[in-house]
Amino acid sequence: MTGESMPIALPFSRLATGTGEVTSLYRELREPLLRYLVCLGLSKDEAQDVVQDTFLSLHRHLTSNGQQDNIRGWVFRVAHNQARNRQGSYHRRFAEPLDLQVDGVLDETTPERVVLEKEKFQRLAKAIATLSNSERECLLLRAAGLRYREIGETLGIPTSTVGDTVERAIRKLTEMLHV
Amino acid sequence: MCDCSTKLIAWLDRELEPAEMARVQQHLENCKECRASLVKYEQVSKVFDDYCKVTLTTVADRRSRRWVPILSAAAAILLLAVTAALLLRTRVQPLPATPIAIVRPPESPLTSEPRPAPVNTAHPRRMPAPVRKQKATWLPPQPAIEVAIPADSMFPPGAVPEGVNFIADVNFAPDGSARQIRLQPHLTGFERRTIQP
Repeated sequence: MTGESMPIALPFSRLATGTGEVTSLYRELREPLLRYLVCLGLSKDEAQDVVQDTFLSLHRHLTSNGQQDNIRGWVFRVAHNQARNRQGSYHRRFAEPLDLQVDGVLDETTPERVVLEKEKFQRLAKAIATLSNSERECLLLRAAGLRYREIGETLGIPTSTVGDTVERAIRKLTEMLHV
Repeated sequence: MCDCSTKLIAWLDRELEPAEMARVQQHLENCKECRASLVKYEQVSKVFDDYCKVTLTTVADRRSRRWVPILSAAAAILLLAVTAALLLRTRVQPLPATPIAIVRPPESPLTSEPRPAPVNTAHPRRMPAPVRKQKATWLPPQPAIEVAIPADSMFPPGAVPEGVNFIADVNFAPDGSARQIRLQPHLTGFERRTIQP
């Protein structure tokens, strides 16, 4: 497993300020970061606060000539740790049922399809609740578009462990959903 | 189980070395079972990704509607409080001021005919006990029969001033005999006489 990062163009000559890079990364990572944090259990407000704090930290990190390798993993790690500090809401998402609004994500919306999709998501939510924290976090970071190496950087585990964990989690979900 | 079955998800995520990617690719062309598993893993991954997107939009929607149940609960509590306050106020409200009972002498001096209980002219203590759950035990029970006896039939003429009547509380034994008689005087139409010089 190589776990190569997605190439991100970082003009290092401008890292003295870091503003352009932070803006570029913000545009790229804001949405997947928000999705990850909300799926971890944070409210939308909390997730937005964490995203804001994370990119402020990124700005300080880049302006102080901090590590620029695997910067996406760095961003997610900072956000992940901030979410962990909010223990009151961390991992709350899968403990409470959501009245899912599936209409917005379906290309072709019919009442029957909405019902089917809701049932499918409810079964998935139950299946996700049975996963371990590590399995759930790996899958959420994978859904956010991170490579295995970046996931490992975020969670502080080896890349090979990420591969094993993702495979185990997907197999479990496949069995529980009877796909 | 094929050797490649444990590498299908990593192959799907393009996380294998190039040589390993090619080997799994070749295996998939010949292995129907691994192709079927791969389709399942793709489906589950797709559903999981969709679920994450839906969760984000749903949480955003829930945020705007989160005050609705709180306001509903507050309205319900307020309604209960107002209802309870009204009920308590009704309980502690003093009894309505009613005129003192006027027991008019019947045509015959003695009668045992039951008289219908007066509605508003009865003595407050003789009114039907109001519906109370507390502090109502001191009220005497409603008499089953009320007998009015004119004072003239019990006392010699002139012994009792005019306007004085009596109300008798009579308890009867099971055999019909009077067990206890209690007379309570009532002043009706009594006026203080002015002293003439």
